[in-house]
Amino acid sequence: MKLAIAIAIAVAAPAAGADPLRLRADALASAASPAGLLVLEAENTPRAGLSAEAVVWMGGGRTPGEDTTGDVLVIAVRAQTRSGRANAQVGRFVSTLGALRPAHVDGAAARLRLPRRFDVEIFGGIPVVPGLATSRSWDWIAGARASRQLGDSGSAGIAYAQRRDEGRLATEELGVDAGFAIAARHDVGVRAAYDLANPGLAEVALTSSYRRRSVRAEVYGIHRAASHLLPATSLFSVIGDIPSQRAGTVVTWRAAPRLDLIADAGARFVDTDVGAELTGRARLRLDDRGTSALTGELRRSGVGDDEWTGIRGAARIALPRSFAISTELELVVPDVDRGHGTVWPWGLAAVSWDDGEWQAAIAVEASASAEYRHRVDVLAQLCRRWGKR
Amino acid sequence: MKRGRALRLAGALACVALAACAGILGLRTSAPESFPHRKHVVAGVSCTRCHTGLDKPGDALHLPGDATCTTECHAKPHDTRSCVGCHVSSLAVAELIEARDHLKFDHRRHLSTAKGNCMRCHDAVAEGAARMRPPMATCFRCHDDARNTRRCDACHRNLADEGTLPATHLAHDGDWMREHGARASSSGDLCETCHKQSYCASCHGQTVPALPAVTRFADPFRASVHRAGFSARHALEARSDPGACSTCHAPERCASCHVAKGVAGLRDRQPHPPGWVGLTSSDNQHGREARRDPASCASCHGGAGEKLCVGCHAVGGVGGNPHPAGWSSRQPLTAMPCRMCHPIGSARR
Repeated sequence: MKLAIAIAIAVAAPAAGADPLRLRADALASAASPAGLLVLEAENTPRAGLSAEAVVWMGGGRTPGEDTTGDVLVIAVRAQTRSGRANAQVGRFVSTLGALRPAHVDGAAARLRLPRRFDVEIFGGIPVVPGLATSRSWDWIAGARASRQLGDSGSAGIAYAQRRDEGRLATEELGVDAGFAIAARHDVGVRAAYDLANPGLAEVALTSSYRRRSVRAEVYGIHRAASHLLPATSLFSVIGDIPSQRAGTVVTWRAAPRLDLIADAGARFVDTDVGAELTGRARLRLDDRGTSALTGELRRSGVGDDEWTGIRGAARIALPRSFAISTELELVVPDVDRGHGTVWPWGLAAVSWDDGEWQAAIAVEASASAEYRHRVDVLAQLCRRWGKR
Repeated sequence: MKRGRALRLAGALACVALAACAGILGLRTSAPESFPHRKHVVAGVSCTRCHTGLDKPGDALHLPGDATCTTECHAKPHDTRSCVGCHVSSLAVAELIEARDHLKFDHRRHLSTAKGNCMRCHDAVAEGAARMRPPMATCFRCHDDARNTRRCDACHRNLADEGTLPATHLAHDGDWMREHGARASSSGDLCETCHKQSYCASCHGQTVPALPAVTRFADPFRASVHRAGFSARHALEARSDPGACSTCHAPERCASCHVAKGVAGLRDRQPHPPGWVGLTSSDNQHGREARRDPASCASCHGGAGEKLCVGCHAVGGVGGNPHPAGWSSRQPLTAMPCRMCHPIGSARR
């Protein structure tokens, strides 16, 4: 980790002030349970084929010093050959290897493009644990993926990863993925992960869409076996499970150049329970670029005693002099309230200002839920950006 | 008389409302027609006769003006207004301007390859299409190496800043929050051409301080998990989609948050209903619930808490065999968690 930080600083430092360097500082504050957050982002491309990025943050609670904490979200240096046939990165990053679950690691990753459009990717490192001062045990995770590109922008691949916690096998997974355009209007994406430690299908997700003029129709299906997603070191990974499924179809219709209508009709299956998953959504852009827009959504979701109905609306209106107002409202009505209230409202109203370099926003958030009978919070944000965006 | 006037007023108001509505929806009734390229090609007019300067450096759009039209062929125009005002699609021109701003393209370098045949790339001309900018697939006919190595910067000046969304199987429409998992798994390298690590980590990172729904609270249209009143809904959503939380969160996450907020870990608050654990199968709910979402059990009973289960379900225990029929594992009996119930020397049951 220290090596990665040193390399990142070394890469960024000579070019500080150069055009490609981009910096962003965000300060957020919340009033209800007083807390503040400072996020610093930096990215730089000192020369072609070499880039670095970092996101670090520091947060504090009500008691100065006691609740203050901070961490590194990303700090990575990436290099690639002039031809683009090989690249590597080192540092803290999220590894996304085909059908395997994303892994946040301190480590390294590399990709090699072979002839005939074959690719090989590998990664390895130590799984990230929140907290800079956390004593690290020697857990590690490593994986690889082999794939072949299909068509202009698709590929199919097979991936394998193994994670060991203190030397004990925690995860061993095999993943298969494919995504490509079948024809000009028809495309498909699929991924499946198989648990090798306690053999069984862990997760499958399938989506296929067809578009014609202003209509796009998608069919999707998801299968998930919860116990196969737990570390194999957990006792709860050996009790077997009842997989859950979700399937449905989404139709998106651009009814007018600025109006999108979306309908999602599907079902959830958990054990013997079946629940409807229905969503109707409309989005209207008030200008060609969509800087001002309105949306409304009606949703029915859940299974068994956990079904609920909700309505949500949001608006953002651009005002003169780089100001904008936005609001978001949600009402959720659970079928079974369990004594936690029959309606859970949530709302936020914000005013923001963005001149490109400086950005400021203030909002009032109000809600009532199972957790709070009523809660009002004030959020404030100040952001400064350096470098072209 | 008064009624007639009121009707006329109502009619006029309705027309204004319809016009306003059409404007809001982006409907255009008087858009300029696309240029009749096909007609000119069939008439034997070469492309470079109107589109001049293709062999010269610079970032000109090479669009002909009124003078080009009226110099020879259309010496007597049928209208006094500008030709391009009516005969050129503003959308097509906007696409050309966008291409000039976003792409590193030089017609001069392509003239020799195309051997003067513009339709080798601009093949939509033959179909009379309004949009004259060739699709990206046309570029890939020759630049397949840039495609194969995902070097978008070979042509694009700055893809991330363009804000152009993919048009193929990675189109960010429909329910992209759900869909991206199935799509991005096979196209991670393409995603990286626009999205930096910080973008993925803003949701998938273990050390993320706040999700985009919080850090960008003033933008209600920004994609984010746990949108709006999720804290109220999360219990319903978690129970309806077992395992979904585990795809990002460690099992301990539920308990750590609930204990911090004082909704769990209290001695006087029993989270399980009566009949949760019993000696007969009829008054036992915990087995079925544990199989529905084992992660929710692991959240509180993980680690040292697993001994609670072992007390009944160890080999020879009153709880019986917790493994389902056909259960198998590649873990040795001496490894965790097997050895908790299968002491060394005990047989696999």
